Amino acid sequence: MTEVISPATPEQLREAISWALGSKTPLEIIGSGSKISYGHAVAASHVLDLSKLTGVLFYEPEELVMSVRAGTSLAEIHGILRDKNQQFHFEPGNFPGLLADGVADHAGTIGGLIACNISGPRRIKVGAARDHLLGFEAISGRAEDFKSGGRVMKNVTGFDLSKLMAGSFGTLSVMHTITMKVMPCDEKTRTVLIACDDMQIAGSAMTRALGSENEVSAAAWIAREQVVKLGLDIVTGIGTGIVALRVEGPAPSVAWRCEALRKLLADIGASEELHSANSNAFWQAVADVVPFAGGIGLLWRVSGPPASGGAIAAKLADETGGKIMMDWAGAQIWLQLAGGDAMADKVRDIAVSYDARAVLVRAPEDIRNQVPVFHAEDAALARINARIRENFDPEGILNPGRIGHMIAKRGNA
Amino acid sequence: MPEPDQSTLARRKDIIAAMRDIVPNEGGVIVDEDRLRPYECDGLMAYRQLPMIVVLPENTGQVAAILKYCHTHKIRVVPRGAGTGLSGGALPMADAITISMMKFNRVLDIDWDNRAVVVQPGVTNLGITRAVEHKGFYYAPDPSSQIACSIGGNIAENSGGVHSLKYGLTTNNVLGVEMVTIEGEILRIGGKGLDQSGYDLLGVITGSEGLLGIVTEVTVRILRKPETARALLLGFNSSEEGGNCVARIIADGIIPGGLEMMDAPAIKATEGFVHAGYPLDVEALLLVELDGPKVEVDYLIERVGAIARECGAVYSRISESEDERLLFWSGRKNAFPAIGRISPDYICMDGTIPRRRLAEVLTGMQVLSQRHGLRVANVFHAGDGNLHPLIMFDANQPGELERAEAFGADILKLCVEVGGVLSGEHGIGVEKRDLMPEMFTEDDMKHQERLKLAFDEDELLNPGKVFPTLHGCGELKTLHAREVASKFPDIPRF
Ligand SMILES: Cc1cc2nc3c(=O)[nH]c(=O)nc-3n(C[C@H](O)[C@H](O)[C@H](O)COP(=O)(O)OP(=O)(O)OC[C@H]3O[C@@H](n4cnc5c(N)ncnc54)[C@H](O)[C@@H]3O)c2cc1C
Ligand SMILES: Cc1cc2nc3c(=O)[nH]c(=O)nc-3n(C[C@H](O)[C@H](O)[C@H](O)COP(=O)(O)OP(=O)(O)OC[C@H]3O[C@@H](n4cnc5c(N)ncnc54)[C@H](O)[C@@H]3O)c2cc1C
Repeated sequence: MTEVISPATPEQLREAISWALGSKTPLEIIGSGSKISYGHAVAASHVLDLSKLTGVLFYEPEELVMSVRAGTSLAEIHGILRDKNQQFHFEPGNFPGLLADGVADHAGTIGGLIACNISGPRRIKVGAARDHLLGFEAISGRAEDFKSGGRVMKNVTGFDLSKLMAGSFGTLSVMHTITMKVMPCDEKTRTVLIACDDMQIAGSAMTRALGSENEVSAAAWIAREQVVKLGLDIVTGIGTGIVALRVEGPAPSVAWRCEALRKLLADIGASEELHSANSNAFWQAVADVVPFAGGIGLLWRVSGPPASGGAIAAKLADETGGKIMMDWAGAQIWLQLAGGDAMADKVRDIAVSYDARAVLVRAPEDIRNQVPVFHAEDAALARINARIRENFDPEGILNPGRIGHMIAKRGNA
Repeated sequence: MPEPDQSTLARRKDIIAAMRDIVPNEGGVIVDEDRLRPYECDGLMAYRQLPMIVVLPENTGQVAAILKYCHTHKIRVVPRGAGTGLSGGALPMADAITISMMKFNRVLDIDWDNRAVVVQPGVTNLGITRAVEHKGFYYAPDPSSQIACSIGGNIAENSGGVHSLKYGLTTNNVLGVEMVTIEGEILRIGGKGLDQSGYDLLGVITGSEGLLGIVTEVTVRILRKPETARALLLGFNSSEEGGNCVARIIADGIIPGGLEMMDAPAIKATEGFVHAGYPLDVEALLLVELDGPKVEVDYLIERVGAIARECGAVYSRISESEDERLLFWSGRKNAFPAIGRISPDYICMDGTIPRRRLAEVLTGMQVLSQRHGLRVANVFHAGDGNLHPLIMFDANQPGELERAEAFGADILKLCVEVGGVLSGEHGIGVEKRDLMPEMFTEDDMKHQERLKLAFDEDELLNPGKVFPTLHGCGELKTLHAREVASKFPDIPRF
């Protein structure tokens, strides 16, 4: 039986890791468990549960900065931000619907979010979760308390270890304190919807929109059969697949830019607009990958050069028979497969031929144990990654196996 | 700096021969003292050291071969871009090869559809914008050294400029790099997409000050140039009111393209120099630039004007033409040489603080100014709390340089005390290396070192930089106004 350790303070966290280090006990690190099925299964006899390590240390809305304990729930954080009309600008998705059917809405902790570096549709304009992490404090696999970064926006003091922590899936250290940059909500948001069933045409439409001066803050393509799943009447009413382009900012500017985008892409198809709350609901659904939620079917995430998105998507759909949704102006493609076969070689070959990478986001555990979930790096990069891991967690006690093939042992890429 | 290794020096002849084999190109290996001289320092000219030799490779294969040789023979290496760094990051060592990347000067690929440009690291920051501006694009991070500094140096220092508040630093605008490790392995990290696999090495290489590898190719994202830009000048009776106004603008959701502030001594010095029309009876002057579509800019100018009135602005002027906008900026851009006119020498510091502690820190600086008996003027990137205090002194007066340095260190300590950091944009290098313990514990430093060791176990790449030395010289030597002005005459100062 797995034993659960639930530290409530950084000191208790250090004690727990110190004990694990001393006894060489591997730990599975869990925030709220909302993304536990993302990555490989961890071989550990003990769970380090961070859900008691909570609390807001400070939130200064005028300074656009918030510092919290890593186990604080996103639901709580989003609520606090909303009260001040602020947000995480990278609009992280809410993956429980995608990964763990039945887990409460907006489950997930800030630590888990940063560890997975999950970023939503605004990624194309404002960067990823990692770009909004100003600093952190953590206990490494050496049971040493350390920090990096700070609370200010501009900082070149020493190596930027925050970048290293974001997306490391808890394999280098366990963060207990996280300091984030937050942003005010935009005064206005609108989304231009353009009728379009063809993935390639959709891809080039998004490329044109992003190359224009209209500061598009999100660009996605949703197929006709997935549009209904969004549950937004205006969108369903269009009756075709759609290219969606969001503009945000001061009211007069948003109106002007929407108009400009509709003119620019008039040759693609008829257009509509989503305003305010409708626009927000639409992009929350895209961030949460709602069309593919519900835990049915294997799900891949393919990420590559945005302008190749349409071509990659068309080829993936063609050769796997899977269903597609494109986000990040084509730089992020979701592929849902119908059967139980991950078709890993096929998906990865197509990705690599376009200089893209494929990650298996959702699959039953037995498949995840056979198929490398993460995209393998070349041997030289894998060696550096393995050394970083060894230097931060020499005994391999933190989430062993979680990123499996991503951080292969030296040489085995 | 670490003691020169005598066994390396004894092998100098062999090393030169090996380098000539690897880089047979004309002028590719520099060994004569007079031709080594231009490489003896970077923008931090108080520190000088002749390199053992300088090598100028022209392709990645040569860089890999040089580094492999150095790794095998345990020879230290100092990477160098344009040498405009202000923290001594490219300071040579007597027993090290300085590798200048300035022959890597080609733009390799402009991919309009992906809004990505691939360049060699020796291309200047401004060179990227020059290559794409004919189609209305630009590269956003804009250090004021942009006409001279290399994109490779920008990556090493995570450079920023006036645009950083809205468009981010180098780290937010780099998509990928090719980098050679000290073992001579070629890594390709990132690319035209938005993800990489494995740990975020691109993120840690950016800002790593040449300690992890030599960057041989860079992919950056480019942006469409905003249609319009207009600027406001806002004067306040106290820096506190000016600081409040900055906070209010940002809390209102307005992120200006530029948001700069000057205190009274800086305003007086620049107005006397460039006659930009700055008011002389205010304690703080804000320069706010708004960019975007014309409708947006016109609307935001109104909003910012209203916020400024509520915050007690006693002076307000809006640029009505491009010429007038540039005139507003001319004062700010010439603030450093303007100070150079009223003081024989000055030190430019670089720390970042939480914005709301601004008034407190400025007051603290006045106290320190009295204690050290030296004047200080302030120009800074107010939007992101990045301060550039200019400490005025006369190096010809015995003891003044030392007092100025002590004053500078006290200012940085004050920045850290209020929750800020030692460097906002110039990096640590050798300049602030020994102040690192002000911010970091022993364990913090050890974890930084562990990253270093994953790349460079023998610590051959740029040793003596960033990490405090146990017996370092400890004092803080910084640039002298006269010398910098003569070395980079065309660069506006920020
Ligand atoms: C002639 C006409 C045509 C229309 N055409 C369209 C159309 O093409 N597409 C479309 O989507 N709608 C359309 N609508 C509906 C209209 O846009 C909605 O009423 C919308 O809510 C108004 O948004 P706004 O941006 O104009 O106003 P806003 O002032 O932004 O918002 C209106 C109300 O919604 C609230 N609100 C705004 N954002 C949120 C949010 N995120 N969460 C909760 N509440 C919020 C505001 O507080 C306010 O009470 C149309 C309406 C009319 C009268
Ligand atoms: C007048 C003036 C104004 C300035 N204004 C600003 C400003 O506004 N904002 C700002 O951020 N900085 C500013 N700087 C500082 C400086 O210009 C930047 O730090 C710049 O990025 C340095 O680039 P460089 O090519 O000159 O690098 P160098 O000085 O040659 O080197 C800097 C560091 O980068 C490393 N390096 C260089 N090339 C490579 C490579 N290819 N691979 C690996 N490592 C490499 C070196 O080892 C060294 O550690 C200013 C400097 C001056 C003189």
